[in-house]
Amino acid sequence: MQESILVYRHLFYFKIAVGLVAAAAVAYALHNPLGQPNGGTWLGYTLGGIAGGLMIWLAWFGVRKRKYGVGKLPLEDWLSAHVYLGLAVLAISTLHAGFQVGVNIHTVLYVLTIIVIVSGLIGVYFYVRFPRLLSENRRGMSMEIMFGQIAELDREMRQIAMELDDATNAAVLDATQNTVIGGSLIRQLRGRDPDCPTTAARMFVERSETRGHDARRRQLITRIMRKEELVRRLRLDIQLRAWLRVWLFVHVPCSIAALVALAVHIVTVFYYW
Amino acid sequence: MKCTIRHITRRARGGVSIRDVEVESETIRAGRGNDCELHLPDPRVLLHHAEFSIRNREMYASPAPGADMQLNDTLAQVTRVSPGDKLRLGPFEIVLEENRDGEHVVLTAELIQPLGDELENLLSRSKVNVGRVGLSMRSWAWIGALVAAVAMFVVPWIASLYFNPSPLLMVLNTRDQRVAAAPTTWWSTGGISSAHKFFGQSCSSCHATPFVPVQDETCVVCHSGIQHHTDPAVFTKASFEGQACQSCHKEHQGNSTVARSDQKFCVDCHADIKDYSGDTRLRNVTDFGNDHPDFRPTVLVDAALQITERSKTMSGPELPREDASLKFPHDKHLRSEVKHPERGNISLECIDCHEVDAGGAYMLPLSFDRHCHQCHSLKFDVYIPDREMIHGTPETMFKQIRDVYDAVALRGGYEEPESPALVRRRPGTPLTPEEKAVVLDWSREKAEQTIKGRFGRGLCEGCHQVFDTPLSGGSTGGGWSVEPVSPTHRWFPAAFFSHRSHGDVECGTCHNARASTEAQDVIMPNAAMCQSCHGGESAKSRVPSTCVTCHSFHREGLPLMGPKRPQIFGSAKPIEPQSVVR
Repeated sequence: MQESILVYRHLFYFKIAVGLVAAAAVAYALHNPLGQPNGGTWLGYTLGGIAGGLMIWLAWFGVRKRKYGVGKLPLEDWLSAHVYLGLAVLAISTLHAGFQVGVNIHTVLYVLTIIVIVSGLIGVYFYVRFPRLLSENRRGMSMEIMFGQIAELDREMRQIAMELDDATNAAVLDATQNTVIGGSLIRQLRGRDPDCPTTAARMFVERSETRGHDARRRQLITRIMRKEELVRRLRLDIQLRAWLRVWLFVHVPCSIAALVALAVHIVTVFYYW
Repeated sequence: MKCTIRHITRRARGGVSIRDVEVESETIRAGRGNDCELHLPDPRVLLHHAEFSIRNREMYASPAPGADMQLNDTLAQVTRVSPGDKLRLGPFEIVLEENRDGEHVVLTAELIQPLGDELENLLSRSKVNVGRVGLSMRSWAWIGALVAAVAMFVVPWIASLYFNPSPLLMVLNTRDQRVAAAPTTWWSTGGISSAHKFFGQSCSSCHATPFVPVQDETCVVCHSGIQHHTDPAVFTKASFEGQACQSCHKEHQGNSTVARSDQKFCVDCHADIKDYSGDTRLRNVTDFGNDHPDFRPTVLVDAALQITERSKTMSGPELPREDASLKFPHDKHLRSEVKHPERGNISLECIDCHEVDAGGAYMLPLSFDRHCHQCHSLKFDVYIPDREMIHGTPETMFKQIRDVYDAVALRGGYEEPESPALVRRRPGTPLTPEEKAVVLDWSREKAEQTIKGRFGRGLCEGCHQVFDTPLSGGSTGGGWSVEPVSPTHRWFPAAFFSHRSHGDVECGTCHNARASTEAQDVIMPNAAMCQSCHGGESAKSRVPSTCVTCHSFHREGLPLMGPKRPQIFGSAKPIEPQSVVR
């Protein structure tokens, strides 16, 4: 399913995008304006019009995807077209600008467009790759089940540790009370906790295996290790889902900013014709 | 010691259950260990957390090393416990209810801080998706839109007000205004050309009307004398009808000039110039380096009627010749030795006569007095060695000679042996009226002789073309006159050349003056000579030279191409003081 965004309808929208870019490139190569090629020639205006129109249409995807079952085209068509025509905007807007950049709002618009397109590409990569990793990692278990299992393990660990020495008990108590799954954005994206109290507790118990109560300690270690595995999988799950979301926090605000920049670009260019 | 330990458990719905445990022991240990008399089953309690004992009928509590114990909310070490005192051991509150003389004590133990539900605790500290970390797509999108609008529109817009100063902003001085107005340049699509930079921050200087392209009327405020490329009445196809200044002159292209210099711009038409004007005398050109017609100097072919001609090239076979009306052999003057009347034999260099003008482009006109006179004396009578002919019109000269001889005759002392005694008399000797008439007759005759002789006409003929004129009988004529001399100042009037920028090249490299025997020779180089150093626009091994290196698009002497400069700028009416922008 995920790959089918890219090869949807036998690359129909890819072909459209390639055709569009090829036509623009040929026109650019044949066009011979006075002075450097720029957005102010007839071809410049044409390419700018196409790129600007595409940008508005691409942004409309944000509206369209919220409306299920509306319109003639299925959402898959929209998404496939969104990806390929979005890439085409990069080429067309570059040709529109005649490869010129400067310290001005027009270049800011160009940079915003690049950020939106690159973040979109990253998003496509995530969407193609991560859903399979997620389901492999979940192994059919829901998050609630995994959290439930961890809570149960915590309870058992504490009970076992109650009978053991204070240091072990303290380590286990720390593991059960202070192991954080997810957390801040950075922690979610990182997907692991180098100071994880659960891992610290396991290492502590493993080191102090000679202090007696060997049977209880082995029970404890088994449970801590099971918890560790569950925590690792949960963290990976959270990490993958965070990355699946977080690129949108670049993609969407930058595309809205780019739309504003596009409006300012058009108004100022024609105000100062 | 007997001890009743009362475990209190509060139910969620308000009920309380009490379970009494009776123990008898010397000391009562409290902890989570199973061997403790006061069993406190919670992981936050140490195995052996504290110990109670009786001394002198009082109860004492002592915490285990590293164990926390509070007595009535104060951290405590070994302490006496009185009835009613509350002890905190981890999450448990232990209260001494009764102490019957140290024989029997009653303690209550209550878990007042339960651990709570594991799952609940775990979930409460786990943020499992991005939406829960304070990020909202919508608010970030709003921020993005707002930042873009403020930075890209509001800030430059406010800055733009500084160039249309309101009374409030007038308090800033010019420099501050420029700094404040700098963000307006964020709207600029590219750098302003070098020449326009000094007003380039003020967008409205050129962009006078919003949403209307820059008009020619704006350009001519400064550029008022821009002429056509061709005479629009004659070459209608090259009149550039309907084109605006900015059709060709593109601003905002960076730190250069808006003047066009690309060869292609010219070659578009000039490669097949007959297509544009069938009767043009111009020849096709595509590149200076390898496809430029040879130079055809504009030479004077009739000095009297001032007729010029531009047909023969500098490569022959027949070379152009100028109707110079002058005799001047360059070769003789450039011999290794020429005779100077005072300095003996000298050798002349080109720059002894030809001086570059102040602009460095062309040569200053030559003059007899400055360039010829040192060697070429105009003395006309060996017996009057202190007088020379004036180098001017023949009429002036005739009058001068006549006046000189009149004066000599009247004064006397003229030493030529064949002249009358009266003229040779001691100078200053008075003359009778009859004698005066005699000497003046001599003077007239002598003057006319001289004018026609080898020191009059003959001297002029050395350099000038002299022709006979009818003697009108008046006193001004001399029977001959001199062809006017009007040497061509620029043989290539449609091209620029700077002698100064070619100053390191020997004159003779381009001007083969040593081989020239006559003033009629046009000693100019041909195109091949220039092409030995200069190539076309994209030349790799020669100086890249485009059309406008030598030629101008807007040509002198043709009608104005654009609109006239608006009257308010050309009039002498002073600008109202209040309209002057500070």
